[in-house]
Amino acid sequence: MHGVSLSIGGTDALNRDYLKQLKALADKIEPKWISDHLCWTGVGGLNLHDLMPLPYTEEAVKHVVSRVKQVQDFLGRKILLENVSSYVTYKQSQLTEWEFLAHIAEQADCLILLDINNIYVSSFNHGFEPQEYLNGIPIERVQQFHLAGHQNCGNYIVDTHDHPIIDPVWALYEKALKRFGSVSTLIERDDNIPPLKELLAELDHARTIAEPILAKAKAA
Amino acid sequence: MKGLLNLQKEFQNYVFKRGERMEREVVGTRRASARTRLGIYSSAYRLRLLEALDTDYPTLRALAGDDEFEKLGYGYIESHPSPYYNMRWYGGELAEFLKITPPYNKHPVLSEMAAFEWIMALAFDAPNDPVVTVEDMSKIPADVWPALVFTPHASLQRLNLEWNVPVFWKALDKKEQPEPPLKNEFPVGWVLWRRELNIYFRSMSVEEAWAIDAMRSGNTFAEICSGLCEWIDELQVAQHAAGMLKSWIAEGIIKEVVVPR
Repeated sequence: MHGVSLSIGGTDALNRDYLKQLKALADKIEPKWISDHLCWTGVGGLNLHDLMPLPYTEEAVKHVVSRVKQVQDFLGRKILLENVSSYVTYKQSQLTEWEFLAHIAEQADCLILLDINNIYVSSFNHGFEPQEYLNGIPIERVQQFHLAGHQNCGNYIVDTHDHPIIDPVWALYEKALKRFGSVSTLIERDDNIPPLKELLAELDHARTIAEPILAKAKAA
Repeated sequence: MKGLLNLQKEFQNYVFKRGERMEREVVGTRRASARTRLGIYSSAYRLRLLEALDTDYPTLRALAGDDEFEKLGYGYIESHPSPYYNMRWYGGELAEFLKITPPYNKHPVLSEMAAFEWIMALAFDAPNDPVVTVEDMSKIPADVWPALVFTPHASLQRLNLEWNVPVFWKALDKKEQPEPPLKNEFPVGWVLWRRELNIYFRSMSVEEAWAIDAMRSGNTFAEICSGLCEWIDELQVAQHAAGMLKSWIAEGIIKEVVVPR
């Protein structure tokens, strides 16, 4: 189960009504994972219907860790947090994004959904080295990868899920497989949906990249 | 947490109204200034909510025209920040907005179309209730009929329209060129509901609209008959009401009949 409304980094109280509904659905369908995004979605009872970035500060780490623990206690299971694409860098940030994610995962004892496209998008928008991001994420916590296309607006990239996955993202996926091993992968496509054949070709491409790496890892 | 709270408030204000204070919180790059970077969020907010309205109100868009729809949509977005965590509910006050806000309040057909499309979506999303059958009814002893109470199907929706907007909707649905909606001589009662995955709607006589509202309010069969006497002769009213009930059952509008003990 994958959500967008947990607002784990929000400063309003956790939405108990939402959590109850989430738990009821989880009890019904017994998902392998429950995941949501490392972000906030609104403040003062309002919702921006977006995955708003958090400042990478110790204050935010502490705040998110406490909320993840509350959610995990309520759901009776660990959740996965996904890295989002972001378009702004806060002046007050003291940590890198990967340090921020890793600190939260370790301290809250939660799992990670690593969106490879989001790492690429944010690396372009913020000017960091994506391999460094991968290296900073604890291997044992990563349970799932997301892949997707995006829109390159020249001076920045927006995570739109409406284009095919580009080659540099496939290359980063390959690097991620080498570091994290056999991780379940999901391709996201929300808009501008092509014929099924093209989507299946993307899936095949993901498998073609993964097979030799995973075979080699298995042999070793 | 105070620092985080203030930052989020500041950012949210920026998404709604822009302003220089938030720009001071964000680093600009060689490629994109702080304003450009923040603008991605404020533009995306408007586009995303307009897309939500677009999904809920395709016929209103056709009726108003693309430019006017976007104008009224952005007007709604400016005045209606979303309190919902599920975007599904965002457009729910559009009919009311169009009804009271100039210049749209001078064109009540827009508000009525919005109301019609909204309840259509509500009918579609309603739970899968069971329905009563004519056979179920035949098992009910005659002497308890006056005290029967009916539970409507969860998808049942009602509204009264001064304009014949459903005709416009139907023409578009059939991919025909719709005629501009006309004003009725008097408000007409409509009922909408869902069976399986199909939405049904039809207009009603004044007395049937009254009866269906009375049924929804939990009135007994006897109370419904008594109210119908305003339009129907007392000697025929029970038969008339039973006939209406039979057609509601055949249409799948009644979830259950509560038989008194």
